Amino acid sequence: MNLMVIKRFRNELIILVATLFALFAFFYKLSAKNFIEEQKSQIVSSISEISRVNELKKVWKSKSISKKADTFKTIVGRNKLKSFKKYSGKVMVSYKNLNFKELNRVIKNMMNNPFRVVKLKISELSKGSYSMELICKW
Amino acid sequence: MGKSNRKILVYKDMPTITTNEQIDIILTPQFYSFLKEELGIKFAYQAKQIAPSFFDDYLDSTKEYHFFVYKCEEYWCFFAYNIVEIISFLEDKGLKEHQINKIFFAQELVEYMEQAISLGNSTALKSIDGIVTILPKRVLENEHNYQELDLNSISLNNGISISSSYSSLIPLKQTITITTLLVILGGIFIVEGTQTKNSIQSDKDKLEVLLDKNPKLSSNRIRKSILQQYEPIDKKERLKRDTIDNIAKLLSSQSRLKKLTLDDKKIIAIIETNSDKISNQVITNAHNSKLIVKKQSAKEIRVEGVL
Repeated sequence: MNLMVIKRFRNELIILVATLFALFAFFYKLSAKNFIEEQKSQIVSSISEISRVNELKKVWKSKSISKKADTFKTIVGRNKLKSFKKYSGKVMVSYKNLNFKELNRVIKNMMNNPFRVVKLKISELSKGSYSMELICKW
Repeated sequence: MGKSNRKILVYKDMPTITTNEQIDIILTPQFYSFLKEELGIKFAYQAKQIAPSFFDDYLDSTKEYHFFVYKCEEYWCFFAYNIVEIISFLEDKGLKEHQINKIFFAQELVEYMEQAISLGNSTALKSIDGIVTILPKRVLENEHNYQELDLNSISLNNGISISSSYSSLIPLKQTITITTLLVILGGIFIVEGTQTKNSIQSDKDKLEVLLDKNPKLSSNRIRKSILQQYEPIDKKERLKRDTIDNIAKLLSSQSRLKKLTLDDKKIIAIIETNSDKISNQVITNAHNSKLIVKKQSAKEIRVEGVL
């Protein structure tokens, strides 16, 4: 009896099976697309995180920064260096009678290197002459 | 060769059939109209296309007819039949629609019909001028020798499956077209899905290379923890530098720095200018750099950047 029904509606059954196949393929495509979008977003996020971590570590965990802190000692004439103290991970410098050029040089050195500026105090002593106190960490 | 079904001749006063098996039926001319034409066409589908026009004058226009054609020697044999009537008649005779396997036409038996065969009490079937015809027995009164034809031993080739003529809502040709389209469409979807899956391979490779170089960063938690540690430092230090840069831009030959202090929360600069006009210019520029400005006197300005 069942075989008869199948035989009778053979054409409709063939189309039904083909439709189911097309639907299955469509949902396979949709699920593949969703799955891939999710995976891609995870991978892209991981890549960007790793790159960012590397970038940040390279800047803020640089091993040469301690050496660069020594340049605060020699960047201006010895007579203008009031005090220089360097501990592990920290430098405290104080200058006097800096002219505008020297002041700029010290600030550039501070800004172009990855120091964490804890304190900066610049005061004009007289016109064109400055004192400066600087504490940096790394 | 598959097992062939039992064949029976179908005629108006046939006896009731009692069987559950599948049966091939052979229609007698009581159930079809027949025409034999010599035509210059090659294919059966072409003949089938023009079949209705041949029967225009012979058929009841209120009924729906189906047509069947096959090549019989140098002629085309055309048949018109009403499947609804045939099925209805057979059901009255005890044969269910699903039991009908194939439908043949008695015309195909023409070569066996030189001698009449008896169909019940009043009719007989006989070939006259190459056409199988129903005759009243009284016309053949002097012929008493009706032949016993074993239909099951005869192989018939030109049958119609009932699905192709009646039950199926969708004709075979359309079925093939629709199925082909659906299968192609499904194939395209599968190919697209597979291609999509392969599309992230280059990103995967890139990630693998990065992880090979930084095995410690394979854990998402470790990455997040490092980012949480360094991101605020990076943000704050960049802001300090940008603010100092913006304050430096306010200085010129007519405006000079008097004092600058930086701590963890803010940067404050005191700028002295040569004139009130320059002070106003410095204030405008400071506003544009989103710094907080306060005019302390006509020539002294306090600029503040919040960290």
